[in-house]
Amino acid sequence: MGEAVGLPGDRPDDADGAAVAPHPRSFDSERNAESHHEPAAQRATRRRATRALLEVIDRDGHVRQVWTVQGWPARIGRALDNDVVLTDPHVAPHHFTLTQDEQGGLALEVGDTVNGVSIGPHRIAAGARSLLPRDAASVDLVAGRSRLRLRLADAPVAAEMPLAGIAVQDSRILPSLAIGLVLLGGIAFNSYLDSDPDTFSRLAGYALLAALSATAIWCGAWALLSKTITRQSHFSWHLRVFMVAGLTLLALSAIPGLLAFSLSWPWLTDFSFIATYAVGATALYFHLLAVEPARPKLLRWVVAIGAVVGIALTLWFNVQRTSRVGEELYMSHLFPPKLRLAQPLATDRFIAELAPLRALLDKKAKEAPSAEEIGASKDEDDDE
Amino acid sequence: MKLVHRCAVAVSVLALACTAVAAQPAAPARPAPSEAAAVADAASAPVSFSARKVYEQARTQLVQIRTVLKGRGSQTSVGSGFFVSAEGHIVTNFHVVSQAALKPDYHDLVYVTADGREAPLQILQLDVLHDLALLKAADAAGRSFDVLPFRPEARPLSQGERIYSLGNPLDVGFAVAEGTYNGVVRRGFYPQIFFGGALSAGMSGGPALDQEGRVVGINVARRVDGEQVSFLVPAAYAVKLLAGGRAAAPLTTAAYDVLTTQLMAHQNALADRFIEQGWKTATHPRYRVPVPPDVFMRCWGSSEPSRTGGLDVERSDCAMDTRIFAGDFSIGTIALRHESYDGSRLGALRFAARYSQSFRNERFVRLAAEYQTKPQCHEDFVDRAGLPLRAVICMRAYKKLPQLYDLTVLVATLDQSQAGVQGRLDAEGFSFENAQRLSRHYIEAYGWAKQ
Repeated sequence: MGEAVGLPGDRPDDADGAAVAPHPRSFDSERNAESHHEPAAQRATRRRATRALLEVIDRDGHVRQVWTVQGWPARIGRALDNDVVLTDPHVAPHHFTLTQDEQGGLALEVGDTVNGVSIGPHRIAAGARSLLPRDAASVDLVAGRSRLRLRLADAPVAAEMPLAGIAVQDSRILPSLAIGLVLLGGIAFNSYLDSDPDTFSRLAGYALLAALSATAIWCGAWALLSKTITRQSHFSWHLRVFMVAGLTLLALSAIPGLLAFSLSWPWLTDFSFIATYAVGATALYFHLLAVEPARPKLLRWVVAIGAVVGIALTLWFNVQRTSRVGEELYMSHLFPPKLRLAQPLATDRFIAELAPLRALLDKKAKEAPSAEEIGASKDEDDDE
Repeated sequence: MKLVHRCAVAVSVLALACTAVAAQPAAPARPAPSEAAAVADAASAPVSFSARKVYEQARTQLVQIRTVLKGRGSQTSVGSGFFVSAEGHIVTNFHVVSQAALKPDYHDLVYVTADGREAPLQILQLDVLHDLALLKAADAAGRSFDVLPFRPEARPLSQGERIYSLGNPLDVGFAVAEGTYNGVVRRGFYPQIFFGGALSAGMSGGPALDQEGRVVGINVARRVDGEQVSFLVPAAYAVKLLAGGRAAAPLTTAAYDVLTTQLMAHQNALADRFIEQGWKTATHPRYRVPVPPDVFMRCWGSSEPSRTGGLDVERSDCAMDTRIFAGDFSIGTIALRHESYDGSRLGALRFAARYSQSFRNERFVRLAAEYQTKPQCHEDFVDRAGLPLRAVICMRAYKKLPQLYDLTVLVATLDQSQAGVQGRLDAEGFSFENAQRLSRHYIEAYGWAKQ
């Protein structure tokens, strides 16, 4: 039985027992630098002696501490006579031991602990013993509140991940700048549409100032959240997500209206809020990705369910408020005459097509008003 | 305080029936702040010898009519009335008894005489269109009542003749208000007498008498935005109501069927007259735009040039003075509006944005959900001899008045990129067929102006 070493660095092997060395995060470079000066034979011996690596994983998924296991059995717990000493108060003094059986397999023996040990989804109680899988690249363990990852020397090593595969990459400046300029142009154009010639410059100034402030506050808040959780702010990522979403929403505020007018398709603007929800959910997904990059699948589900629930609730509220599922009572987007493609109807046909409203209204007239309708009516009365 | 409040509400509702005489069109009339002072002035005004004589003669025929909460004894509204037959028939306004007529499960009616005698009342018949009700004293058996005679129709009053309005203003006490006969109100859909005297809440349903003490009209409404501008229902309608309903059985259930039947007749008559009267000509330099003649509607125009180099707007608002009181709301009226936009200084896209905003900025909910459905709309492009229009028809159904609907038609011209006209027609309380007729009549009124 060896003894635990509380300082970083190498320690001579102890053939009779475990030898475990903890390393700060920078240990790789130190060790590698040292190893270049080691004789090849000595380095090979030491490599052979490294039986496993036990990593303590932080809540954000980063490795907080690494212990090199150089022999079996290795004892893990809070007491100082363990090979791996954990400081988690939810860990027992002698929490568990990793031992090698005669066939060369590795087993986990749980010591005198209240909380036990979890191997993946399985919980092992005090006094029990469990064989660890041999062919896995790593084994995830939880002791108390400490998440541990055991990598065995003879386990297959996962392939190198390409840099291009990182979900959140800080954007390059030029494309972001281009998107930003287009967005500002769009906001200025909206101000132009909403203003009179004499009030344009003032209104555009307000709108641009408001847009810049909103961008700074929004992206700053997300960057702070990213920084808190991932230790990287990803400000340029959040900025780009916000700008692309803003540009898409700007387009959505004009294109459905134009098509609805041009083709006389009122349903297009009646339900354009669904596209707005979709854009909002997508933007939220990409923002969240820079906060919790390890779980893209979970985030996709969260925002998809959020969007579906939001759309369903809006439809339901619309029905309660206006007896219709759509948002707009009628299509009110009017554009220059040349943009109209739909052919106008003769008055007779237009009036004749009014007939189906009668049955609908008579049916509604027989229904008792809902509480929401009464509430909405009262609000409207109060406004008068 | 509550009583005064209730009375004030009753008057303001009534006054809605005759807005738009003043310079500000269609503003909802509200009780004037100086109402209490005006009432005090009226009550303390020196009463001439004739007024005293008229009041002395009419005192025993005059009653106050109270609507009382069933089983509670508290009054919810008060009005006036008068005996028109020895058997105990009383005439008053429909709006004085509307709560008892439409919600009989919650309200009772009683009358109180000048000497303080109180007895229950029954409703025999209603004339909703002229705002009259025929009642009968429930304690009439074995009694004979003093009666106020009607002035014969063959002897019309001359403008400026003195007449005397009687009633119980604000539940203060029986009073006589002296004033002048000013002929029949212009542009009313149903005739009303223009009374140049002060009416107050609580006097509704009381008689207006000539110097011989004969009934010439029934107090019904006043303008809160004017001085001594009040209205009477001509006595002839009360004579007709008495003749038709003298032997009628008392109403025992909510009178919505009576209300609906009479409103149906009203909307038929109104739709026919509205369509028959046609449109004014030369209402816009480029288009034909529907503006009704000044027969029973009144139009106000205004011009709003932009002060910031934007959209210039000219507006026309037409509305009827006549509205039919139907309990918790009024109904049976038509209103039109159009706005002519000139955005030549704006450019096409900016004008389109502003034109859309104006087309969107329309109000559709009039009554609470317990009275009316939410609006349902039908819309499309409509061709008027080469003039393309965007037309929207929205309708709401009344919940307690079956087969009556509110209609709103919106129209926007779409032939110019920097100018156009948007119009709106509102018709409240029409059958579906008449709503279709009115929609067609309105949309077909748009077209190119004759060169």
